[in-house]
Formats: sequence, structure tokens, C-alpha cells
Amino acid sequence: MRNAYVDQFPAEAKVIKAAFWSSFLALAIGGSLGLLQALHRTDVLRIMEAPDYYTVLTAHGVLLAITFTIFFLVGIFTWGVTTSLDRGLVDLRFTWGWYAMMVVGTVLVGVSILGGVVDAIPMNADVLFTFYAPLQPHPAFYVGLVLFVVGTWLAGADWFRTWLAWRSDNPDERIPLPTFMALTTTLFWYLCTLGVALSILLLLLPWSLGIVDSVNPLLTRTLFWYFGHAVVYFWLMPAYMLWYVMLPKLSGGKLFSDPLARVVFVLFLLLSTPTGIHHQYLDPGIAEGYKFIAMTNTMFLLLPSLLTAFTVVASMEHGARQRGGTGYLGWLKALPWRDPVFTGMALAGLMFAAAGFSGMINAGMNINYLVHNTWWIVGHFHLTVGTAVALTFMAAAYWFIPQVTGKELWNRSLGLVQVLVWFVGMTFMSNAMHRSGLFGVPRRTAEPQYENFAFEPAAGSMGEINAQVALGATLLTVSLALFLLNMVMTSLGGSSDEIPDNTYAETLSGPEDAPVVLDNLKLWTAIATVLVIFAYTLPLASIIDAGGLFGPGIDGFQLAIEAGPAFVLESVREVIA
Amino acid sequence: MRISKGALLVVIAVLIPFIVEFRTALSWFGIEISVLESLVLGAVVVLAIVIWAVWPPNGDAEAEPTGSS
Ligand code: HEM
Ligand SMILES: [Cu+2]
Repeated sequence: MRNAYVDQFPAEAKVIKAAFWSSFLALAIGGSLGLLQALHRTDVLRIMEAPDYYTVLTAHGVLLAITFTIFFLVGIFTWGVTTSLDRGLVDLRFTWGWYAMMVVGTVLVGVSILGGVVDAIPMNADVLFTFYAPLQPHPAFYVGLVLFVVGTWLAGADWFRTWLAWRSDNPDERIPLPTFMALTTTLFWYLCTLGVALSILLLLLPWSLGIVDSVNPLLTRTLFWYFGHAVVYFWLMPAYMLWYVMLPKLSGGKLFSDPLARVVFVLFLLLSTPTGIHHQYLDPGIAEGYKFIAMTNTMFLLLPSLLTAFTVVASMEHGARQRGGTGYLGWLKALPWRDPVFTGMALAGLMFAAAGFSGMINAGMNINYLVHNTWWIVGHFHLTVGTAVALTFMAAAYWFIPQVTGKELWNRSLGLVQVLVWFVGMTFMSNAMHRSGLFGVPRRTAEPQYENFAFEPAAGSMGEINAQVALGATLLTVSLALFLLNMVMTSLGGSSDEIPDNTYAETLSGPEDAPVVLDNLKLWTAIATVLVIFAYTLPLASIIDAGGLFGPGIDGFQLAIEAGPAFVLESVREVIA
Repeated sequence: MRISKGALLVVIAVLIPFIVEFRTALSWFGIEISVLESLVLGAVVVLAIVIWAVWPPNGDAEAEPTGSS
């Protein structure tokens, strides 16, 4: 008897499938735009006007960093909760409700961004995914974002109520690990999105509607980053969950330690949010001391990531030895490298290690000044969200799509080639971006070449660094196409009896070894809230004190409407004069 | 085969960043090699690894458990 996810939870499988396809669609569009950007900036191919670049970049950032990642992860968490509790969601209408809400939000945001290049749509939202005021989008952009986020809140509520229903049937049992991971992640997601939701609903939306006539840019920016760092852990936690519960199993072994995994997720709940100011080291108007606190919290966040590296690699080694691997490093040979699910996730983890190093540089207050707002940062987060998360999700899809459709993967070897090409492409693109940043190439600039000025790489030439970016971006796009091809062909295929059972890794040291206090979600949420209050009350108070809640008469600035090239030149002249 | 074909592909992929940045690293010691030289070097290393991998001392790497359920 086949016992895939779709056999156990046919109705839930449909929602998950819908969420995955929504995410793949965003990935397809966003990824293609990435290629356009890379070729435009490196002057290999320029098929758009410079101002349109910002419309494209907004779409790329929003579709990939928000839509692709979050649609996929709500699918993953829904799988994790139902599988580990061995119980369906409480009410499927509710589930479809939050999914629909996320879709409507995405469509509103998408259409308002599209308005930047399509004259027929009387909107624009060329504000990049950070929507810093005074850049001002059409109100639909804000409304869409809020709907999307509220959709994710309801998704979290869905997982919580399913867990509560399970708990009343199983009062004395420990929370199963995948559910524990989904719930702790949801908790800090609530904590952090509250800030950005308030910022949009109380400050930005009224301003874009003309109800209030000004905002305080530093305040809305700070509230954005209050959410903006935690969101990176919202992307990352599902990837971590897959590394913890899938990689050990794929390697043929068990998870090394369930208690350690719980500690890691608790630490992320505590520390994800009171760190956001590390994105604002260069913002005037925030005192150094607050920045220092954010830096300290950030450095503590290295701990759970190092714990994860240890636990996951130890589990893989255990698996490899079970499969007959021997030797000091020889066990590596015994891992299932032909399996795209395993190899994709392992390479994603490897790249994440590299990202950890560049991340430490970003996190250091003093050395951040060297790389701030350069292409170094873009190189960094294409390793984190663009690979550690994206490649893990793509690799996971090779396992999940058969699970939720009951259809066999169309071509496994192609899957292996796909994850390897992503790795190689990202090697070129991200490496070259990091190096560009070191000699000052700015990010978010359509045409980074200036009169009477030439960038001077410490080694090699600007030309060859650009060539690496273009080559890498092309390989990434090829990889993306191979991935989508495999997904489409798999979905077109017929039902198969060869789908593996829906299981996840067992543990060497199980929940019985974990102190019960780890499962006390109320306690951890309370401490997390206190930490946030410590980290944010004083900075927010001094920002409001200095600039006022609504700022000193800041008018909205709409790039696509006002900023023809002549206008930009004019304002640059004014500034210089 | 000493290692499986999958593992061989992975080794080659992971080698690429090292070859790319080897050139950067050398330049710190004043040794400048061209892109072409770097490519040739990469090709030689890859070839060496492929030869090592397919050399037949124990022909059973492909027969290993595939346990990728
Ligand atoms: C086909 C693969 C991809 C290519 C070729 C690509 C290319 C690029 C380029 C060239 C930029 C820099 C634009 C600039 O600074 O002017 C960029 C920015 C960005 N990319 Fe990608 N990217 C790809 C995949 C991804 C993925 C998978 C994610 C996330 C899941 C992602 C997230 C972002 C974000 C958040 C930005 C910053 C946008 C901003 O500055 O507002 N990219 N990408
Ligand atoms: Cu951050």
C-alpha cells in the first residue's frame, strides 16, 4: 500500500500543492527579472530604460524574497504540523481562506508594481521591497502587503489550533519536533510583523491616501527593519526544519539530537527580532549605543546557527556510517550524492556556511561601513535567501511534489544537474558581487558606471568581474528553467505506486532527553517580548522625539510618475548647486 | 569507479569556487595568471580527479546502497 502524504491527507495535500505552485510562479517571474537586472547592470544586454530598472528590481525583490519564500514555507509548515501530529487541519475552509487572502494580497502588490511599466494600469510602486519613505507607492501596494501578512497570521493560527486540538487528545505528550519548529517560528513571526503592520496601517497607508500629509522616514524605516531581520529567519527556519528532519533520513540515519534542535528554535524565537537595527548602522538619528546592542544580539545569533551546523553534519555522518561509510572523512563518499534532494540541501547548507562568514562582516558595526549598500550585500543575501533557502526549497520540491501529487518525479538526474548548476551559477554571481562591493560598486543602481571615474578591483578587472556576474546569472536562469521543467513534467505525469512513504527522520536522542521547559511556549514568548522592549523602546522613543510621529512635512515621491530622466538630472543639479 | 558518478559531479562543482578564487589568492602574492591559464589549470585538475575517480581499484562504488527514499 502506498502511504504518501496525499494518501494520508488528501485535502491538505491540495492546499499545499496550491501554495507550492504559487511559489513556483513567483520564482519563475522573479528569477527571469533577475537575469534582466544582471545583464543590464553589467552592460551585456540593455533592453529596458534605466527608470524601469527600479520597477523590475521591486518585482524581483518582492516576488522572490516575499512571495516565493513565504508561499513555499506555509506549505512546508502545513506538511510538518499535520505529518508530525498525525492529524488533519481543523477546518479546511479556514485553510483555503488564508491561502486565498495571501493570493489576493500578492495580486494587489503585483499589479501595482506592474503599473510602473504598463501605462494602462494607473498605479505604480517603484519602491523596492523595503518601501522606504519618502518613496511612495499606490495605496494598493500597502493594502496588498497587509492582506498577505494577515493571511500568514491566519496560517499560523491554523497550525496553532490544530496543535491545540491534538494537545487536548494527548495532554502528556511532548510537542513533536516539526510542530515545535513551526510554532516557535510562527510566534516570532507574529512578534515582528506587528511592527511593520502598525507602520503600514497607522503611518504609511494614511499618508499614501492623503489622510495625513507627512511621515517620519526614520520611524517607518526602523519599523521596517524591526520586521526585516526577523523575516530572514522566517525564510530560514523552514529550511532549517528540512535540514533537521529530512537530511538525516536521506543520509540513511537519524537526527543526532532533538533537544539541541529545540534549543536552536527557542534561541531564534528569542533573538530574531531585537536585532533589526543592525541594518541601520549607517542611519543617522539612531545613537551608537542602540546599534551596539543590536550588534551584540546579532553576534549571539551565531550560536544557534553553529549548533545547527554541528547537529546536521553529525546526523549526516551518523547516516553515512550506517550506510557503510568509514574513515575520518571517507564517510562523505557514502552519502547519497545522486539524490537531488540530498545534494541540493547539502550544497545549500555549504553555501550558507560561506554566507555566515560574509554575514559576520555585515554584522560588525565598524566593518559594515566598508560594505554598506554595496553589491557585497547583494552577494551575501543571494547566498542566504537566494541559495540556502531557495536551493533547499527547490531540492525539497523534488521530494514534496511527488508526496502531494502521488506522481513520480519526472527526471531525477536532471534534478541533480539542476541543483549543481545553481551551485555553480551562484558561485560565480555571488562571489563576483562580494568582490565588487569591496571596491565600492553600489547596489540598486541600473548603470553603475560614471564619468571620469573607474572602479579599481584589488585583483583582476571590472570587465571580468562583470563577466562572472553575467555568466553566473545565466547559469542560474538555466537552472531555474530546468527546475520548472521538471516540476511541470512531473505534474503532467500519471499517478505512480512508487512514491516513498511520508516519513521524517527519527532521533538518536529524542524529546524525552529535552528539559520540559523547552516546550513552554508562553515563557519563551514572554522573554522574547521583553527583549524586544529592551532593544526597541528607547530608540523608537528618541526617533519620535526628534522627528515627530508623522515627521517634518515629508511629501511622497513617486519614481515612475515624476522622475523622467530630465527630472532626475534637474534635481541632481539642484543638489549639486 | 572509486566514488559514485553523483559524488564525482559534486566534487567537480565544489571545485569551481576554489579554482576561481585561487587566481585571486595568487594575485596577492604578485602572481598574475590570466583567465585562460586559470581555465587550463581548472581543466587539468578536473581531468586528474576524473582519472582518479574512474581508476578501477574497487569497482563497486556504483553498487552502494542508494537509500534515497
Ligand atoms: C535567477 C537567479 C537570480 C538572479 C540572476 C538574480 C540577480 C539579482 C541582481 C543582479 C540583483 C541586484 C540588483 C541591484 O543591486 O541593482 C538582485 C537583487 C535581489 N535579489 Fe536576486 N537574483 C536571482 C535570484 C534571487 C533569489 C532566488 C532571491 C530570493 C529568494 C533573490 C532576492 C533578491 C533580493 C531580495 C534582491 C534585492 C532587491 C533590492 O535591492 O531591492 N534573488 N538579484
Ligand atoms: Cu539582519
